[in-house]
Amino acid sequence: MHDSPASPLLRRRLRQGRDRLATALITAGGIGVIAAVMAIGVFLFVEVLPLFWHGASTAPQVNVDTLWLPQSYPGLDEPVYRWEPALPEGDPGPRFSLAPLAWGTLEAAAWSLVVAVPLALGAAAHSALFMSRRLRAAIKPTLELMEALPGVVIGFLAGLVLAPWLEAHLGLGLTLLLLVPPGVVLGGALWSRLPGRLRRRLPLGWSALWLLPWLLLLWSLAKWLAPWLEGWWFDGDLRAWLAVHLGLDYVSRNAIIVGMAMGFAVMPTIYALAEDALSGVPTSLAEGAQALGATRWQTLCRVVLPAAAPGVFSAVMIGAGRAVGETMIVLIASGNTALMTASPLDGLRSLAASIAIELPEAAPGGTHYRVLLLAALLLFLFTFLVNTLAEVVRGRLRRRYRRMGDSP
Amino acid sequence: MIALLRRCLPVWLWLLAGLWAAPVSADHQVGTLDTIGSDTMAGLMLRWGELLGERYPGLRVQLRAVGSASAPPALTAGTTLLGPMSRPMTADERQAFIDRHGYPPREVVVARDALVVVVNRHNPLPSLSQREFDAIFSESRRCGATEGIRRWQQLGLESPVGPIVLHGRNAVSGTHGLFRREGLCNGSFRPEVNEHPGSAAVVESVADDPLAIGYAGLNHLTPGVRAVPLRDADGRVHEPTPQEVRSDAYPLARDLRIYVNQPPGSSLPDAERAFLDLVFSVEGQAIVEELGFVSLPAATLVRQRRILGL
Repeated sequence: MHDSPASPLLRRRLRQGRDRLATALITAGGIGVIAAVMAIGVFLFVEVLPLFWHGASTAPQVNVDTLWLPQSYPGLDEPVYRWEPALPEGDPGPRFSLAPLAWGTLEAAAWSLVVAVPLALGAAAHSALFMSRRLRAAIKPTLELMEALPGVVIGFLAGLVLAPWLEAHLGLGLTLLLLVPPGVVLGGALWSRLPGRLRRRLPLGWSALWLLPWLLLLWSLAKWLAPWLEGWWFDGDLRAWLAVHLGLDYVSRNAIIVGMAMGFAVMPTIYALAEDALSGVPTSLAEGAQALGATRWQTLCRVVLPAAAPGVFSAVMIGAGRAVGETMIVLIASGNTALMTASPLDGLRSLAASIAIELPEAAPGGTHYRVLLLAALLLFLFTFLVNTLAEVVRGRLRRRYRRMGDSP
Repeated sequence: MIALLRRCLPVWLWLLAGLWAAPVSADHQVGTLDTIGSDTMAGLMLRWGELLGERYPGLRVQLRAVGSASAPPALTAGTTLLGPMSRPMTADERQAFIDRHGYPPREVVVARDALVVVVNRHNPLPSLSQREFDAIFSESRRCGATEGIRRWQQLGLESPVGPIVLHGRNAVSGTHGLFRREGLCNGSFRPEVNEHPGSAAVVESVADDPLAIGYAGLNHLTPGVRAVPLRDADGRVHEPTPQEVRSDAYPLARDLRIYVNQPPGSSLPDAERAFLDLVFSVEGQAIVEELGFVSLPAATLVRQRRILGL
């Protein structure tokens, strides 16, 4: 290869032209994405509008009352919320109540946050402040890779493996829940009492590894304790005990299962964002606090967490946004029962899952179709708001860090 | 794993149909066969299509199994000549077809199917009457029961102890519709019924839970579940055996149909004709049995052929 004898001027023109073309392409791409997002919103809105336009068609009409308030139906004693797209022939009025679906969506998101937030924030705080750098370099990318796990895979594992397992080992599940959190705290307490020589062999930065045998020990302890606990406390059968004493029926596809599965799915998102926020806190702050005699725990609670609070908040918000929009996990793991009960042992049905199940078979232009698109519009608005809020808060955090970094 | 594959059957079908139509290049092509309709019959249509493809290597076969509700619009619009359906056309669907074409669609029965009420294989439930399963599954109780049945004890069983956990299909499926019409006297389901996207998932959930009951297509039965015999109004007990299903003695039996757009006095194009001929042949009916449905008696086959002028 040899250089072509082009004049420097020509070459500069060429480079400028290329730059300009690239800029134009990037701008066009950006505008295109924004236009597409807005077009989705506009499309949904236009499709939903005829739903509230009375007299335009002969199809059963819905209004805000039938969508959100309990309705009375023949054969039932009191007004209820019902989502029943397939009506028996000769039945008056539609049964499209969005209330149980919205409730199910929020319930699923809430339980998944209950599972994900403590674990993800704990992991983020630990890996940002306490973990050894070598271990962190291995663990952080692994956790972030979990985010790439398709929802359908997690859903299948939850619906086909976790749900039947928990149903058969309800006692063990409860024992684990009661035993593991105090067990881990006990592990920490024991560690701080260890003689110094041994403690240096088990450094805090590597606790993620040496805690594994401890967890295994707790697991076998729980396994040994579970039948004993179930027999002594719950007359030998937790499921029957729940039904008799609390009036709660344990259904194998329930909100807890959904919460666990979806919590697993949103955990990496929350972890990654919270970890970035926590490790982004200027080191001068933490070092200053420790130089003044604060312990590591005090540094975390009083200095680092408040400084990173907006970032942690936006991490949780983005996690919530993902949980609300998640479809496959809820579809497979929840049982899709459009109920409005607060019991976490009952099933639920989410907006997204209803759309996925029913939209392909709803007649385009019909009431059912439009109500489903209304559900889609609600989801769209909700995730849009949550994500925008999270981004605004994050932007503010970034500015705050910059200010802190400037004035040491 | 099997359930996973089965649940994704429509997707598989698409893939398979695509793969296997692909190698046929345009110049060998002798015709195209399009069908749009029932997903209950997806496996059946696929196997028939495969066999037809073996016999006529140049034939392009496109099978779409979205659901029974998709067949009438496609037939009316003229997108397809064959519409497999697991339920009869409604009066509206039929009228729309007549309005467009000026003649009614021809209806042929190609196999028999039945819905079965399934319980866990350890469940000792001897039989159920229509009134009982209406009381279990519905909140409207149009079949005449005075109160709902929520626990196994109410059916006179000592075990299992506990609530009855209900499983069923999603509201847009034909199976859901048939069960509601025949089983619940056109009433409405309880909201507590777990809705699954496929019959295989229903059966799997019931197999996992001793307190569960569900309904599914006959061809989805597995060793983990037991089909409960049904009692008719006279108190006779019917098991879903091939004889009972064929003779219509079993209360939840149904016909699987193909609706054909064939103008009166004319004959079908070659591809459709060959397909239907295969369906009513000995090999075609053997496939029906192989997939867990019930084949038609010889007399019915002759009658169906006569309808189409085959």
